[in-house]
Amino acid sequence: MRHLLLITAFLAMLGPTSAHAEGSESLWDGLQVHGFASQAAIWTSENRFFGNSPETSFAFTEIGLNASLPINPRILLSGQLLARRAGDMYDGTPELDYGLADITLASSNEQRWGVRVGRVKNPLGIYNETRDVPFTRPGIFLPQVIYYDKIRNLALSTDGLMFYGESYIDQGALSLTLGGGQPVIDDNVGWTFLRNNYDGEFQTDNKTGLVQLWYSTPGERFKFGLSGIMLSLRFDPGQHSPLRSGTTDIFYWIASIQYDTEDWTLSAEYLREPLAWDDYGPLFPNFKTTVEGYYLQGTYRIRPNIELLMRYEEGFANRNDRDGVRFSTRTGGLFPPFAGFSKIWTAGLRWDINRQWMVRAEYQRHHGTFVLSFRENPDLGQLREYWNLFAVQAAFRF
Amino acid sequence: MDSFSSSSKSNPWQRPPVIRQQSAKPLSTAFIGLVLMLWPWRLTAQELIVNESVHNARISQNEARLFFTMRLPFWENNLPVKVFVLPDDHPLHRQFAKNVLGLFPYQLRQVWDRQIFSGTGQAPITVATEQEMVKRVASTPGGIGYVESASAYSQVRTLEVR
Repeated sequence: MRHLLLITAFLAMLGPTSAHAEGSESLWDGLQVHGFASQAAIWTSENRFFGNSPETSFAFTEIGLNASLPINPRILLSGQLLARRAGDMYDGTPELDYGLADITLASSNEQRWGVRVGRVKNPLGIYNETRDVPFTRPGIFLPQVIYYDKIRNLALSTDGLMFYGESYIDQGALSLTLGGGQPVIDDNVGWTFLRNNYDGEFQTDNKTGLVQLWYSTPGERFKFGLSGIMLSLRFDPGQHSPLRSGTTDIFYWIASIQYDTEDWTLSAEYLREPLAWDDYGPLFPNFKTTVEGYYLQGTYRIRPNIELLMRYEEGFANRNDRDGVRFSTRTGGLFPPFAGFSKIWTAGLRWDINRQWMVRAEYQRHHGTFVLSFRENPDLGQLREYWNLFAVQAAFRF
Repeated sequence: MDSFSSSSKSNPWQRPPVIRQQSAKPLSTAFIGLVLMLWPWRLTAQELIVNESVHNARISQNEARLFFTMRLPFWENNLPVKVFVLPDDHPLHRQFAKNVLGLFPYQLRQVWDRQIFSGTGQAPITVATEQEMVKRVASTPGGIGYVESASAYSQVRTLEVR
């Protein structure tokens, strides 16, 4: 709310002068409206992924509608509503995906500086900013070992400020983003970080910060990126909570590399996420772990509108216990070892039928269940170590 | 040319029609080949066009990329930039992206989509045909676009990309 007031005040200052300067041109001439919708069908041999997948799930739907309006060439207002249904994790209630004012403070053919104010998507890794737009993803699902769907909101967006600077030189382009504010969280946070939905609420401390650095060679053949977000969650227990008021400190960072040729795009990313749980009481002793994940991915364009996808990814709940045996032993076998990792092969095919429509199909071979949501699979005894996934998706955009 | 004339001169009485026919064939093939080589090359030398209000005489390839990836909001004379493009699958768009900007068309689409769907920028204005492109660039102060060959259009200025 405070941000909205700030934006409004800012625009009230700048808006009218620019409108006069433009003369005959109407402010609304620059309005752009875009949107997308997608529906998928998912089948898994065992384990639940995005709904009741063993019996074919249709519970993966994405609908987005956005508008952007340049108040003047320096200020862009934009917002997007997103309705996303994803199995038992998200029910499709429309939410403000982003709503911001992008203000260019200085710009030349050598550099650009600016600030984004409001709800801003976190520029983490290659895909996070537009992770819910099927057209911008390499497959139906992003690599789950880095872009978890079991807890996407924590890293999704920030209510706050992001400063950005870009420098264009003959040797390429360098860009830096620094952000701070309040992460947008939901009850999947509890399910993932406490493995249950305890009575209580997660709050964020004011320790939240984001950094992103990208370098790309001229023509953007090679891109290298480093991005990270640091945040601290405080659990305020409810009356019936067996847990005490504890904190969870999270540092999530990704190293990214991408190489483009006319027919090929090769991508690789590496994630490391140190986590620390403190003061939750005797039922949930203090605990430290470092989540790790990486993938190698190639997309090949047979024709400009037909693309093949191949990917291999691995993810671990604890990089010092990659086979999950130690944690399994600590929990007296309640957690099977294979719940501590995921190793996934993916093959996919994408066909852009025309400028509006796209369809694709995807096959995944899974070893381990680390990427699964506890919310969707509450009974650990039911989990199966080896499983297959097949999915199809149709998507529309305008 | 020389071999043809010399062969017909040295043997004027030996089966002249056959020799003529045989040597005329490669000649016409060579001529068609030459036309095919030069003519489409001239046709596909896509050119960057701007509205009369833009005073730059030339820009670098780096700058051209910045304009078409929507990263430069102003011209040197502070006029707002208005970018026009043809659809992604239009042959002229594909040629222009590769030959003039040094980018693959899918890279442009990725940049635009990231901006459109994260609220950090806008997409260029898409026009359906080259004629419409010229019309819109000519009538929009600060307008920038591209054509196959600018010599056919007097209402817009050509901008050299170094």
